[in-house]
Amino acid sequence: MTRIVMAGFPPEMEKWLKSSFVQADVCCVTGGLEVIEELKRPETSVLVLDHRLRNPTALEILTELHNGVACSQLPVIYCLSEGVDIELTKRLVRDLGVKEILLPPVDPHELARQLARTLGLPAPHRSSDIEEHIQNAVADVRRRFLPVLLSRVEVLEQAGVALLESSLRPELREQAEREAHKLAGLLGTLGYAAGSRFAREIEELLQRGLSLSESQALRFSELTVALRLDVESTPIAAEALQAPEKRPTLLIVDRDEGLAERIEAEAAAQNLHVQTVREFHRVREAVSALVPEAVLLDLLISGKEDEGMTLLEELSGRTPPVPVIVLTSKDGFTDRVEVARRGGRGFLARTSSAGQIVEAVTRLISRLHAEDARIMAVDDDPQVLALLRNLLEPRKIRLETLDDPLRFWDALGSFAPDLLVLDVDMPHLSGIELCRVVRNDVRWAEIPVIFLTRHDDAETINRVFTAGADDFVVKPIVGPEMLTRIFNRLERLRLRRSLLEIDPVTGIWNRRKASQMMADFLDLARRHGQPFSLAVIGVAGLKGINERQGYGAGDALLQRVSQSLSNGFHSEDVFARWSGDEFVVGMYGLSRYDGVQRLTQLLEAVRQQSVQASFGDEPQPVLGAGVAQYGEDGTDLESLCKSAQAAMLHASTGGGGKVAHAGWVKDSPGAMKHVDVVLVMRDEAQASLLLHGLESRGYRTRWLQDGKTAVRLLAGPDPALRAKVVLIDVDVAGLDGISLLKRLAWDGVLESCRAIILTSPSSANEAQAGLELGAVDYVVKPFNSPVVVQHIRRVLDAA
Amino acid sequence: MPRKILVIDDEDSIREVTQVTLEMLSEWKVQTARSGREGIRLAAADPPDAILLDVMMPDMDGPATLQELASSALTRDIPVLFLTAKVQATDIRRFLGLGVKGVIAKPFDPLDLARQVAEALGWEPEQREIAERRPM
Repeated sequence: MTRIVMAGFPPEMEKWLKSSFVQADVCCVTGGLEVIEELKRPETSVLVLDHRLRNPTALEILTELHNGVACSQLPVIYCLSEGVDIELTKRLVRDLGVKEILLPPVDPHELARQLARTLGLPAPHRSSDIEEHIQNAVADVRRRFLPVLLSRVEVLEQAGVALLESSLRPELREQAEREAHKLAGLLGTLGYAAGSRFAREIEELLQRGLSLSESQALRFSELTVALRLDVESTPIAAEALQAPEKRPTLLIVDRDEGLAERIEAEAAAQNLHVQTVREFHRVREAVSALVPEAVLLDLLISGKEDEGMTLLEELSGRTPPVPVIVLTSKDGFTDRVEVARRGGRGFLARTSSAGQIVEAVTRLISRLHAEDARIMAVDDDPQVLALLRNLLEPRKIRLETLDDPLRFWDALGSFAPDLLVLDVDMPHLSGIELCRVVRNDVRWAEIPVIFLTRHDDAETINRVFTAGADDFVVKPIVGPEMLTRIFNRLERLRLRRSLLEIDPVTGIWNRRKASQMMADFLDLARRHGQPFSLAVIGVAGLKGINERQGYGAGDALLQRVSQSLSNGFHSEDVFARWSGDEFVVGMYGLSRYDGVQRLTQLLEAVRQQSVQASFGDEPQPVLGAGVAQYGEDGTDLESLCKSAQAAMLHASTGGGGKVAHAGWVKDSPGAMKHVDVVLVMRDEAQASLLLHGLESRGYRTRWLQDGKTAVRLLAGPDPALRAKVVLIDVDVAGLDGISLLKRLAWDGVLESCRAIILTSPSSANEAQAGLELGAVDYVVKPFNSPVVVQHIRRVLDAA
Repeated sequence: MPRKILVIDDEDSIREVTQVTLEMLSEWKVQTARSGREGIRLAAADPPDAILLDVMMPDMDGPATLQELASSALTRDIPVLFLTAKVQATDIRRFLGLGVKGVIAKPFDPLDLARQVAEALGWEPEQREIAERRPM
C-alpha cells in the first residue's frame, strides 16, 4: 500500500489528504523525531515536509536523508512558509535534491495534485470541471438574456433624462426603481459585479423620491452610462472562463463572540464575508488559508499586548502585506503611533459600533483594491502562464496572460499593466522585440519589464538589458524567486509613484493626492448620509520666517508642524499640505463641531510641544484652523475649502491658536452682520429654493421680504447688514426694486456690494434702468433657480 | 431518494441559473415556478423538501406567497428560504419574523448557492464539491 508521511501540518490537512487518497495510508506526525522513526519503515512512498517542523527541523531531516544511503531516493515535497528567502529555495533544489516545492499559503488542491503526480496516481477528483460547466451555463444565460438586460437599463436611462429635466413622473420612477432592484440582484449573479453595484446605487437614489439635487441627478445619469458599459462590454466568451467575483473576506481575530456576530450581521449587507478566529495560535494558519482582504485584530488576543503587536508586525510584513485594522481599548497618541509604526492600516476603539467597524473595513478594502497591481505576462508556454497565475493571483495581483505575442499591442493598451513579464524566445516576435517596441512608446517607456529566459549566458543577458529590461529570471521558474523579483519591482514603482503624491517638504500627501482621496470620501458621505468635515490649518508667520531666516528655516518649521499634527490624526483621515502655509485634514464621520473640538485639542498639544522653541526671539508661529462640514458649508471640495479657509481667517484674527467652524458669524446687537448674498424678494417659495441652492454651496445668506426693510438694514450711515451680492426682485413689496437700487447707489452701498436684478419679461426698460443705476447683472423672470444661483456665483467669484 | 427543491422567481434568467447550479453542485432535484400562484400549485401537488422564494414579484409577492403556503395543511411545513436583493439587517429581521427559515442575498455566487442553501436549511453538505470549496 502507498504510504504518505506528512510532517508538521495541521490535522485538517491530514483529514483532507485522507479523503483525497482513500487508497493510500496517510500518516501525519508533528515532530521531527517521529519523522525519523517513520522513515525507518520501508513502505513509505513519499515524504511531505512543512518548513516549520522542529526537533529536528525539516532542513536537518532533509540533509540527513540526502547524505544517508537508505532513503536517499525517497521523493520529498517541501512546503515553504511565509518569509522564507530565495537562498533557501536554491539550497533545497541544488544541494538537497528536492524536486517539488510548494509555496505558502499551501493550497490543499495543489498539494494533492503534486502527490498524485509523484506517486503516479490519478489526480484526485476536482470540482473545477463542475465549476467550469456552471460558469459556461451562466455565460450562456447571460448571452441569451442580454437584450432583456439592456431593455431594463434603457428604462433607467429614461428616468435619468427625466431627472435631469426635472420631469420624472411617478409611474416611471416606480418602474425604474423596480428595474434597478431587479438588476441589482440579477447582474451580480450573472457575473456583472460592477453593474450590480451601479444598479444598487441607482435604486437608492430613486428611493429618495421624484426630484433629486442637481449633483444627484448627474450622478444618476453617470451611473446609467457606467451600467450600460458594463453590461454591453463584458466579453462574454472570455468571462465564461473566469469565476464570478468572490466576496472579500474579513478575518476577525477577537475573543468576543458577540462582537463578531454583530459585525457579521452588518457585513452581510456590505457583501463582505466574515470568518472569526478566537485562539491566538490559530491566527497565522487561518491567515494563510483564507487569504483575507483585511484582518481585524484585537491586540489582546493572547492576553499579552506585546504578542499582539508582534503578530501585527508579522502580518503587515508578509509578502504581500496583510492589511490589519487594530481593535483596542487604548486610544492614546502613543498607541496609535505604535500601531502605525508596526504597519497597522487602521485603528478602532473597542467601543465602535459594528456598523462603524464594517464601514472602516470596507473603506480600507476599496482603497486597497485601487492599489492592486496589474501584471501582463507574455509567453507561448501555457504551463509558464499557469504557474504565474498560481503564484500571483492568491497575492491579489491582477494578471493578464497572453500566449500570442501578435496580440500584444492591443492587450497592452486595454489592460494597462503596471509591470510586464516577457518571454525571450517566442515564435513570430521575441520578447526582446516586444520590449523595444514598448520602450519606444512614450506611454510605456517607464514600465518595469522582467524577462524570462532559458539561458543565462552573457550574450543573452546583454541582449535583454540592451532592449530595456529591468530584470530577468532564468527558467525553470522558482516561485519564491519570481515573486521576490516582481514585488521588488512593484515596490520601486510604488515609491516612484508616491513621489508624485507626496509633498517633498513635509512628507505627507500633496494637494493632488488629497483632492482625489477627499473626493472619494465626499462621495461616500453623500451615499451613506454620513458627515464629512474638512479643516484648513494655517501656519501664521511663515512668510516672516522665510524672509528673515530663509526658506530652510521655514521648511523645518513646516516639517515639525506636520509631524506633530500627523501624530494626532487617525490613519483614515486625509492629512495633506494644501498650499504654502496651509494644511488640510479630511475627517470622515465627523461633524464640524466634533472637528472643531478635535482640532482645538490637537492645536493645543502642538503648541505645548516645542514646535516654536528653536526660533529664539522670532515671533512664534501660530496655528489657526477652520472647519467646514459637507452639506452644511459646501457640497464640493472647492466650496468646503473656501468655507474652512474663511473660518480659519476669522479664527486667526482673534490672535491665532484658535479653531472656528464655518458659519461662525453670530448675530449680536449693534454689530454689523456680514453675509455673502442678500435676496430681496416677495415670493417665499422662490426665495427658499434660491437660499437652499446658495447655502448648500457654503454661502451665507439672508432673505428680506420687502424693500423698506432692505433699505433699513443695508443703507444708511451705519448699516446692520453687509453683503457681497444683493439680488433684487423689481416687484418687491414696500419699495419697488428700482427705487431700492437707486437708494443703495446713493448711499454708496453698491461700491462694496454688487447688485443683480430680477426683471419682468415684459419690460426691457427695467433691465436698462437697473444696469444704469449700477446693477452688474440681470435675470428675466420667470427664472430657473439653478440658473440664478449660477449668476450669483459668477458675480461672487468676480467680487 | 434525492431531495426536491422548488424555486419560485419571476426572473427567467435567475430560475435557469439556480436550477443549473443546484443540480450540478448537489444531488437535489430542482423544479421551478415563475409566479407565486404557480409555485403554490406545484408545491401542493408534489410537496418539495424546501422552497426558494423570490421576495419581489408582481401580482403575488414573496410574503403573500408564503402566507398562502402557510395556510394550507399540504404546504405549511415546507421550509422556505427567501431570495432577495434587500439585505439590510432590518429587512432580514422582518423576513425572519414572517416565518422563513433563512434569507439568501441576491446577487449570489452561483458556485456557492448550494452551500448557502444547505447551510440555511441545516442540511449536511452531502456533496464533496461543496465541502471542498471551503479551504481549511
